[in-house]
Amino acid sequence: MFRTTLAGLLAHRLRLMLTSLAIVLGVGFIAGTFVLTDTIDAGFSRSFAADADKVDVVVTPADDADAEDDGILPERALAAVRAVRGVRDAQPVLSGDAPLIGRDGKVVGDYPTAGVSIPASRMKITSGRAASAAGEAVLDKNTAKAQGYAPGATVAVLDKAGKRHEFRLVGIFDVGLDQNLAYRGAVAFTPETARLVTGAKGFTEIDVVSSGPTPETLRTAVAAAVGSGVKVMTGRERGDELARSNHVDTAFLRTGLLLFAAVALLVAALVIYNTFGILVAQRTREMALLRCIGATRRQVFASIVLESAVVGLLSSVLGLLTGLGLGAAAVAALKAFGADVPTGTVSLSPQTIAIGLCTGVVVTMAAALLPARQATRVPPVAALGTQAEEHTFRTGVVRVVFAALFTVAGAGLTAAGVLQSPGQAALLTVMAGGVLVFFAVLVLGPVIVRPLSGLAGWVPARLFGVPGRLAVDNSRRNPKRAATTTVALTVGVTLMTFMSVLTATVRSTVGDQLDRQFPADYILTAQTGGIPRSIADSLRASRDLSSVTEFRGKKAKVNGHDYEVGTVTRSALGTSVRTEASAGTLDRLGVGNVAVADYVAQDLGVKVGDHVTVTSGGRSVPLTVVAVLKAGVSLLPPFTMAEQTFEQRFGRVDDAQILVNAAPGVPAERARAVVDDATAAYPAVKVGSTTEIRGQFDEAIDTVLMVVTGLLALAIVISLLGIANTLSLSVHERTRESALLRALGLTRPQLRGMLSVEALVLGLVGAIVGVVLGVVYGWAATATLTQDVSFRLPVTQILVFIAASGLAGVLAAVLPARRAARASVVGALAAS
Amino acid sequence: MSTTTQTRTAVVARGLTKVYGTGDAAVHALRGVDVDFAAEAFTAIMGPSGSGKSTLMHCLAGLDTVTDGRVAIGDAELTRLGDKQLTLLRRERVGFIFQAFNLLPTLTAEQNIRLPLEIAGRQADQALFDRVIETVGLRDRLGHRPSELSGGQQQRVAVARALISKPQVIFADEPTGNLDSRSGAEVLAFLRRSVRELGQTIVMVTHDPVAASYADRVIFLRDGLLVSELERPTPQTVLDALMALEA
Repeated sequence: MFRTTLAGLLAHRLRLMLTSLAIVLGVGFIAGTFVLTDTIDAGFSRSFAADADKVDVVVTPADDADAEDDGILPERALAAVRAVRGVRDAQPVLSGDAPLIGRDGKVVGDYPTAGVSIPASRMKITSGRAASAAGEAVLDKNTAKAQGYAPGATVAVLDKAGKRHEFRLVGIFDVGLDQNLAYRGAVAFTPETARLVTGAKGFTEIDVVSSGPTPETLRTAVAAAVGSGVKVMTGRERGDELARSNHVDTAFLRTGLLLFAAVALLVAALVIYNTFGILVAQRTREMALLRCIGATRRQVFASIVLESAVVGLLSSVLGLLTGLGLGAAAVAALKAFGADVPTGTVSLSPQTIAIGLCTGVVVTMAAALLPARQATRVPPVAALGTQAEEHTFRTGVVRVVFAALFTVAGAGLTAAGVLQSPGQAALLTVMAGGVLVFFAVLVLGPVIVRPLSGLAGWVPARLFGVPGRLAVDNSRRNPKRAATTTVALTVGVTLMTFMSVLTATVRSTVGDQLDRQFPADYILTAQTGGIPRSIADSLRASRDLSSVTEFRGKKAKVNGHDYEVGTVTRSALGTSVRTEASAGTLDRLGVGNVAVADYVAQDLGVKVGDHVTVTSGGRSVPLTVVAVLKAGVSLLPPFTMAEQTFEQRFGRVDDAQILVNAAPGVPAERARAVVDDATAAYPAVKVGSTTEIRGQFDEAIDTVLMVVTGLLALAIVISLLGIANTLSLSVHERTRESALLRALGLTRPQLRGMLSVEALVLGLVGAIVGVVLGVVYGWAATATLTQDVSFRLPVTQILVFIAASGLAGVLAAVLPARRAARASVVGALAAS
Repeated sequence: MSTTTQTRTAVVARGLTKVYGTGDAAVHALRGVDVDFAAEAFTAIMGPSGSGKSTLMHCLAGLDTVTDGRVAIGDAELTRLGDKQLTLLRRERVGFIFQAFNLLPTLTAEQNIRLPLEIAGRQADQALFDRVIETVGLRDRLGHRPSELSGGQQQRVAVARALISKPQVIFADEPTGNLDSRSGAEVLAFLRRSVRELGQTIVMVTHDPVAASYADRVIFLRDGLLVSELERPTPQTVLDALMALEA
């Protein structure tokens, strides 16, 4: 039997290729994921190791250092280290805020630029040189590029007190793997200057170079010298530690990508299942002949399973190679887009090979089990039959019962999830319901594919005349095959629709929230420190602005717990700042009173009428709760008091945030100019508009949608392979039918058109089911996210999905259709 | 019909040559066949296996290209036409009845019968449709699919389909090959009636002397050449002629 199977496989190399392509892509995705993450991991380890070799011992604050001293090494530690015998050099690393002022006169970025001092040995200067004098600074290359600064330029930063200092830029450096610096941007100074500018009281790290002793010996000596509260490691140990923490990041990336790979493999399994089903049906006579000449059922079964094992193994090997290519391409793409990701050599690890091979073979064999069982049911007498039976399909009782069970259970779980209060548990319940409903669709597929293809084919059947009508008939000729073919596409379309509904809804919900929380045209924030009170005063003086709302806050202990205590311009309450009280009222917010956010009230167990004790600076004062406010409606702090009360307790505090509204009828440019003028003298005060915030948010959402869609595209491609496969095998089965139609006067383009329409219908059916499932579950999932979700249906995107699925189906039909049309009429008629 | 003094020809072949393959592997299926097929007549093509009778029919019907020589159906020169024009010609002027697999399994009997007209975008002549249905006796089976019809009924549907578009010529390839003798006789009787009553032209390939005896004229092929012919055949005269061929 083994030899028969192999001979059969070799005789049908093309068929083998078609079947295996789906698995090749699925395994390729998995292997590619591992190759990519392994490469990044290796790159991180290597560069950390390289960095680590430059220093022998590293002193850092202990992980469990008390939050009071901010995890900083005291200055005396440096002197202590330098005094240790065997220390040739010890250099401190300093880090703090040094907001860089950009070319527009405002501080750069959302977060203050880091002001650092890094030992020259560890600093990667890309042009110019390191700072060596007080008036010199070095800028990280990304910020330098974004702001257009080159060595020789003068740059300005704000010091801790908000005072402006100018420096001569002497070089550009690469922050390397420090993600914090990479994100915020960094200006490097000499240690003394860095301390002056940032106000840093100590060091974040001390790098020690040995004058002779081994790193291990020196580590012990240094540890003894600096005492407790610090962590002393050799350079190598530090490198390993950093690499490990980065490994966690790549593990996240890996898990995420593998989820998509799993989807692709599920689709591939469906395609393989279908293909083997068709192959078995086509080889009925072959099987029967084997049975006639004495093969047992077991042998027939084994031969199919063996075939699937060989196909699985070959495709997995090809998949591994594909994965290597994909991984290398991803690495190259990352580099091309300038991502700061170190990369090692691209290679397949033994682990990747094992996982890829196992997954590919197991999935292929599992998908072939049912078709193999089908093959054992072929009676020997079938070898004598002349014509393949037309596949009839009757809806079995078992099928209906199973479908009903899955539907009821799935719908029940989904409903339960939606009715639950929002949260992760609700979302998981909904998703579990979704999986069950998907099973119901899988089981019910052959039943619903008939009416659906009628629906999807309604227009094509009328548009394309006889070929169109024949195509629609053909598409539902073998409902089981059509169902499995389309379900593969359904998986991808469901997930895409789901994502697009989810993102559209999140977008509109967050938009609504932004409108509610920032009922303002402009928002003023300070990157460091606060907003001087004079700004609000000067804004109020302008007639072009209708309202100016100040928010002030301070940390304090309330009933012994740390909370933000704040105040807001009184007149804004109920107008610019919308509030909703779940108990009590803000109208009575006066001296000695406080309003509490609902979640805090719950945590502290206080209600309207209770007293809370606010402690700050060693003084305590009791306040009466007059209102419990719904959080999420406004941006009020956990405890809000009247302005006078706040002022009495905390003195004149700078504003944390100012909301500004333009007066009615004032053009946006004029209002903006007023706000810009008022803040021009304060580089740290940034002006934002709600439109900008929404734009940034929209951009982020679009990126997420794009990445997810891109990753799901592979599943779609695999399902298209399935459509192409089904069609080409149908073409093969219907050779004589096509020849008859050609004899009766169907032209070649018409025959091609007929197959295209059939594929179009299959694609549309898959898309329709997918869109329905995706929309329903997108809705259900958003219902579990938060309260008051504003559901949005991305109609255009969904129509695009449907149209694209149909079009993709037509594309999948191109090759099979060409082959069908090219066949000679006489040859096909003679073939039996 | 042979009684007509002026016999029109429906199909003409001159010097028809068909070679499959090249070089040593070349097979000469037809070696220069000259033959005329009279309009409104029933002609049978006979010959031993490998004599080229099916090839001749395929070339005459525009299903296959010829290596040399010319074929004309009415005023249309087939040998000058490309695939597209050949397809349109088949659609407009030719009807087919094959030995097996004549019908599309997804369509009902009536839809199968109307299929060539619909492909051509023409309307069926309702009177002709009724008459054809009466002739083949399928009135009560029109809504059935092929799988629900007997072999004889399927073949009668195929005959009706060939007749409905009033083609200039119907080519039948072993139309009774898969039928029992009673169903076969019925189908052959319909073919003859359609010639007599509807004035149809039919060219039939067969190896069965009884089937050939329904024709007005039988031509005999051997090794790709036209070797003899017989007017008003009977099973016995056909059998004798075949015996003479084999000798």
